[in-house]
Amino acid sequence: MTAEATDEARLVHRTTSLCRVCKNALPADVVATAGGEVWMRKACPHHGAQDVRLSTDAAWYEETRAIKQHAAPPRIRHKTIDLGCPFDCGPCDAHGQKVRLPVVTITSACNLDCPICYVHNKNDDAYHMDVDDFTRILHHLRDDHGGELDIVNITGGEPTLHPQLLDLIELAHREGIHRVTVCSNGLRLARDEELVRRLAAVDARVALSFDSFERDADYLLQGAHLLATKQRCMELLEKHGVSTTLIPVMTRGVNDHEVGALIAYGLGKRNVRHLEIHTITYTGQGGVHFDRAGRISMYEVLQRIEETTAGLLGPADFVPSPCAHPLCYQIAYLLIDPDGGPPIPFTRFLARDELYRALSDRLYMEPTPGLEAVMRDAIDRLWADGGADAERILRLLRRMLDDMFPTDRALTRREALAAGERAVKAIYVHSHMDEETFDTERAMDCCDSNCYPDGTTIPVCNYNVLYREKEAHFNREPAVWNERSGGHRLTLRVMP
Amino acid sequence: MTAPRRLEGKRCLITGGSRGLGRAIALAFARHGARVAFTFRKNQGDADDTAAALRAAGCEPLVFQGSVSDAAHVQATVKAVVAAWQGLDVLVNNAGTTQILPVALIEEEDWDAVMDTSAKGAFLFSRAALRTMIRARSGHILNIGSFASERVIEAPIHYAAAKSALRGLTEALAREVGRYDIKVNLLSPGLLDVGLAQILPRHRIDEYVSQAAFGRLGSADEVAELAAFLVSPDNSFMTGAKIVADGGL
Repeated sequence: MTAEATDEARLVHRTTSLCRVCKNALPADVVATAGGEVWMRKACPHHGAQDVRLSTDAAWYEETRAIKQHAAPPRIRHKTIDLGCPFDCGPCDAHGQKVRLPVVTITSACNLDCPICYVHNKNDDAYHMDVDDFTRILHHLRDDHGGELDIVNITGGEPTLHPQLLDLIELAHREGIHRVTVCSNGLRLARDEELVRRLAAVDARVALSFDSFERDADYLLQGAHLLATKQRCMELLEKHGVSTTLIPVMTRGVNDHEVGALIAYGLGKRNVRHLEIHTITYTGQGGVHFDRAGRISMYEVLQRIEETTAGLLGPADFVPSPCAHPLCYQIAYLLIDPDGGPPIPFTRFLARDELYRALSDRLYMEPTPGLEAVMRDAIDRLWADGGADAERILRLLRRMLDDMFPTDRALTRREALAAGERAVKAIYVHSHMDEETFDTERAMDCCDSNCYPDGTTIPVCNYNVLYREKEAHFNREPAVWNERSGGHRLTLRVMP
Repeated sequence: MTAPRRLEGKRCLITGGSRGLGRAIALAFARHGARVAFTFRKNQGDADDTAAALRAAGCEPLVFQGSVSDAAHVQATVKAVVAAWQGLDVLVNNAGTTQILPVALIEEEDWDAVMDTSAKGAFLFSRAALRTMIRARSGHILNIGSFASERVIEAPIHYAAAKSALRGLTEALAREVGRYDIKVNLLSPGLLDVGLAQILPRHRIDEYVSQAAFGRLGSADEVAELAAFLVSPDNSFMTGAKIVADGGL
């Protein structure tokens, strides 16, 4: 990509990044260009100058970055500072956020070899985490990071290839986790209805990668024509009432024009709770060699959403997560009309700062005092002041409360949560970093970490860029420090 | 030591007895030797479970389905109980309902439904039962209120109003029928491990627990035991009283 950052560029902030070749730490300037974009500029003594665009809108970038997140550091640190961020992960003494989105990588096995895969996997002598290790991780999360957990995300590889997946899900529920999500490419689920039924029985949530409705884009991103498979998978998940999150990876010029269709698809499915839209990252076994023209910034995704949802959602309908760096997560909530009317973004009846406050210190919307206070104020305001959509919004809110708090029986907390999430759906835009865009300021405020049985937690971007490639569990030939790995193909075998 | 059987042979009718506190009261009364009848509105499965639990405790219950605000159902139920047992010693007006709603979202029909169940239902059942109790020159009516009407806490206004109405009903009725040695009392439990606590957000429960002297929720069983005492012959001089069992809020 051509560097547009010029000498006239205005410095926005300084940070530490990584060399895209050797991954050594480099000082980096983040600058706003005369054209209104934000670029990161750095130079490796061995591999030269490196510029990368971080945002197409400097005003949005600076305004968003200025939002102060809720500080909630981890209770227990596992590493002292030695080499500096991002080389002391554990978390180290400098890390600012406890883990809110724990990611547990339970297997190295995968039955797909996506060109955009941003991690490393291996199928020969595949690694499967055992139940004891998984238990230790859950206990560390509770003890080291504090209290109840909104979510645990089980990932791989392809977690449905783990022989004890269902046991792990049940274990997480027994430990009081509110939501247990299982990332999946959907291949096995599409042809194993019994597994889908059993996932429903253990109240698993499937986080299904679903990138495109178009044949060419589908193949380009996943290395196979999978649309029919994904749709079959969705049929089964819907049939068995499995709560589902759709995870499309946005790639400029490939599928970004489809984001509105993907959102409409998710909002229209009763079992879909959220959409989590990722921006492509160029790391891992596949991503390293993917075409850089596909790089897309958070703000561009928000713009595409506005362009392709006919005004349903725009950048102003999103707020950052209060418990992550503001440039990492943008979230919009929509009130769903069960009668088929258009969904209503929360920002149509809440100011953005109220919505931000309502999320309080949660990554996912939970019935907190903050949420209750904000919603009550909103209801009173709608009722007293009226307005174009006030009656309809009040009617939908009332239906949501009736579903969550029926008078003829008490729902379990899980049932009430599910009822709430049928009435209110979230769209997350999550921007991961790779070697080129890496910014330690964001890494230090990350709440999204890969977790180990000894209590170590590593922010997922750090993990994907630096740590996973060095683990024998996931690599036939683990990388060493000072080299970049990836770009290899996974050995695929016939798998269940 | 053998637990006391305060209600040996007493003929007791409990409204809303299929689940929650009503079920706990029915079972407690059975443990105390009472004959138990209960009503329920909708959930046949819960009613079957409660009836089975009562049978397991050695009590063959009478079970009636209907709405406490339906005068015909009320008349028929009391008539059937009296016909079966030749009288009625104890009525517990336990049936109630609530919705977690702010005032802006409470419609007229919501107000009516909550008031009908708690206040009108208690009136209808009390009036029907009193015809028998006055003839017998004895009886106990126990209305189940709520801490929602006893303390300054946030509660749905129709629920708080209905429970407050029960207080007025209790005090006035106790004075009116005291001359027949009929005791009418109001038992106002705090937040229990059944009912409302199951649908409240966690932070509301935590707030309650932090404010209560005992630092915990009440159990349905301990409130049911208190109810058994209040309608037993051991309670010979208390009427028109409101008894608050909220763990020291």
